[in-house]
Amino acid sequence: MASLKNASTRNPAQFSPAATSNLDLVDRSSGFRLQRLRHYSFYPATVSLLYVFGGLCWLLAVNPILANWLYGTPSSPLSDQLPNILAIIASGGLFYWLLRTHDKTAHRTKRAQDIRLVEFIEQITDVAFVKDRQGRYALFNSAGARLAGRPAIECVNQDDSALFPAEVAHKLMEDDRRVIAGGTLLSCKDTFTIRGDTRVFLSTKWPYRDADGNIIGVIGIARDITEQKQIEERLRRARDDLDTRVRERTAELLTINRTLERQIAARVQAEIALRESEERFRQMAEHIREVFWVFGIEEERLLYVSPAYEEVWGQPIAGLQERPLEWIEAVHPDDRPRVQAAHLAKRKLGHLDEEYRIVRPDGTIRWIWDRGFPVHDETGYVYRIAGLAEDITVRKLAEDQLRRQQVELARMSRLSLAVELASNLAHELNQPLAAIVAYTQACLALLRQPQTDPRELTGTLDEVVNQGLRAGGIIRHLRELVQKHPATQTTLDLNALIRAVIHYAELELRQSGAVLKLELADSLPTVLADDIQIQLVILYLLRNAIEAMNETAKRSRKLTVRTSSPDPETALVTVCDTGPGFGADTAERLFQPFFTTKPSGIGLGLSVSRSIVESQGGQLWATPNPDGGASFHLALPVYLNSRAPLSRP
Amino acid sequence: MNDTPTVFLIDDDQAVRDAVGLLLQTGGLAVETFANATGFLEAGVARRPGCLVLDVRMPGISGLDLQKKLRTQGHRIPVIFMTGHGDVPMAIRAMKAGAFDFIEKPFQGQTLLARVHEALALDARQRCRQARRDEVMARMALLSPREREVLERVTDGQYNKVIAADLGISLSTVEIHRKRVMEKLQAESLSDLIRILALLNDEELS
Repeated sequence: MASLKNASTRNPAQFSPAATSNLDLVDRSSGFRLQRLRHYSFYPATVSLLYVFGGLCWLLAVNPILANWLYGTPSSPLSDQLPNILAIIASGGLFYWLLRTHDKTAHRTKRAQDIRLVEFIEQITDVAFVKDRQGRYALFNSAGARLAGRPAIECVNQDDSALFPAEVAHKLMEDDRRVIAGGTLLSCKDTFTIRGDTRVFLSTKWPYRDADGNIIGVIGIARDITEQKQIEERLRRARDDLDTRVRERTAELLTINRTLERQIAARVQAEIALRESEERFRQMAEHIREVFWVFGIEEERLLYVSPAYEEVWGQPIAGLQERPLEWIEAVHPDDRPRVQAAHLAKRKLGHLDEEYRIVRPDGTIRWIWDRGFPVHDETGYVYRIAGLAEDITVRKLAEDQLRRQQVELARMSRLSLAVELASNLAHELNQPLAAIVAYTQACLALLRQPQTDPRELTGTLDEVVNQGLRAGGIIRHLRELVQKHPATQTTLDLNALIRAVIHYAELELRQSGAVLKLELADSLPTVLADDIQIQLVILYLLRNAIEAMNETAKRSRKLTVRTSSPDPETALVTVCDTGPGFGADTAERLFQPFFTTKPSGIGLGLSVSRSIVESQGGQLWATPNPDGGASFHLALPVYLNSRAPLSRP
Repeated sequence: MNDTPTVFLIDDDQAVRDAVGLLLQTGGLAVETFANATGFLEAGVARRPGCLVLDVRMPGISGLDLQKKLRTQGHRIPVIFMTGHGDVPMAIRAMKAGAFDFIEKPFQGQTLLARVHEALALDARQRCRQARRDEVMARMALLSPREREVLERVTDGQYNKVIAADLGISLSTVEIHRKRVMEKLQAESLSDLIRILALLNDEELS
């Protein structure tokens, strides 16, 4: 804006001297305009001369003829007419003077107007010009001359090609031609580079006509709108810039707004969630079957007890308000000392895990599983204990029942194992029987031969006795197996026992193609356990291992039975297979009843085996092998009275 | 001794081996005992005349495995299995695999002896037939390829004329070939020839 103001104030000052010097230009440059004025200047003389000539004609020719014809008077001598002639000449002169005066006044007025016009044209900051049809400048104001870079006077009668660069001149002359040809106004915006300076012009041209309307040239005016353009451009840029910033700011505000909305929504949700959480907690606390309680350590009393208390204890909660230890009074007398001790201990430890019985007012007994957990404040100090007291009566009963069932199952499955083993024993039994029959029949056949000496048969008959005893041993074995009464504990050499048991598993071992590897410790202490039952367990473990390996590639099947004594009080049997093994999570489930991975298994073998081993004071557990497969470990207590291994008959 | 029919007794149980061996010996049979199948195979006595009495359940190579092994090696020695109580499925498998018989422990000595004698008789028949078959095979080996061609067509019941046309030889040549075949196979008539060849085919089928 400042530059704009400067431009407008500077321009008139620059133009004033040029304007004065341009005054004489009007006379010289405007040649065709002067011609037009000269046309007017002939008029007074012509009119005056015609007047005098007419007057004289009338006086000297027409008037005598007319007078003669009308009045019959002869023409008067010329001398008589002299005054009239002089009068006519004088009036003609007067007439000329009048006309001349009038014409001159008009001319002067016109000239003054022209000068004002030229001056005006000179004063304006726009380029103004008049050209003839050939494109030569008849009039060119100083703004134009400055543009052409030479005095205005030098520009007159020059065409554009002499004044401006070729392309500018070409454009200007082309415009002129169009104006002259079209006879209409032409307005256009041009950008011209003249002497290294690029300017924008808004040019308007129209035809210059003479009085008759013939086009005798072109009049034009061109305004330098470069600054205006620049200002417009700057304004546009400023506007654009402003627009951009407004948009950016708007976007920023939108983002902030959205973030705020989100935060508000999140907060609202958090509040809802908190309310819901509280509501859920309240619903849970009030509807769970377990008694939820909170104990304040500072307050030394129960701060909250959920309504389930009334259901479980069979007493109103209100009673607990009056007598805070009412719940402990309900505990079964046998359990009460223990519960009281735990109740006292929980204040220090923050933990509680007790099972106890309570006697309800109606005399029924309920089993309670009471657990407490520490609640820390911000500094980590335990200031409360939160707990759950659960009515586990049903579960307890079920557990009892399950335990009874397990015992029964154990017996049953021990029986079924025994039956299985019995089939093996039957085969064993057939061997001595077959031998006895064959020996005896051979003896009989020999005795029927006359040449036979009966004494030769004693060796054979000894064999018969031996085989009979062997069969008897097997029968005893069999009977022991199916006996229900508690196992008899005897000292056992586990190595010998394993060798005996493997015999029973030989068939399966062969069918599976597994390689058996015995790694029996040299000086294994004897253990105190039931012979048959331990045999059963080991046999079961062997079969279990073989069955497991049937799922894997035949080549890699390897069964290792190892004995060791990890400490002086324990003898350990490990049965190692290369089967699929088991995951860490199933390690304990393996021993649960009815857990099985075999398609046809009922899942009792390991469970029963464990109960058998535990009844012998031993332990049975499983570990996965690092290179695949599983290991089952059977630990049995060592018989401490004897150091040397006993050899079994 | 090698040609005497022998009972090969295999049982891992020393007492059973002794007792049954004694029983068979008192029955007047030659007995050789082995503690396991491997010992029997290593002794290389499977091609000798006789029969096999063995326990189904044995450590190492089982009775069934041994039977299978012998069959694949082309030995046709009859096998009598001794089984324990309740080994019916195993007995069925043994019979399906071509066992001569099975006998349940404990058993009557007479029963075993009767079975063994039957088995020995079967072995003798088989050996006899095998010997004849071997002889026929040997004679067949004497035939020239052309004579074999003629023989095939003759046994198919083709006329000499047809055979001649088929093989592109003259009728008299066919007749000469046919005569040579009869001579070489020691057949006196066409029906004789058919019977000889039937012996071969029969053996191959069984």
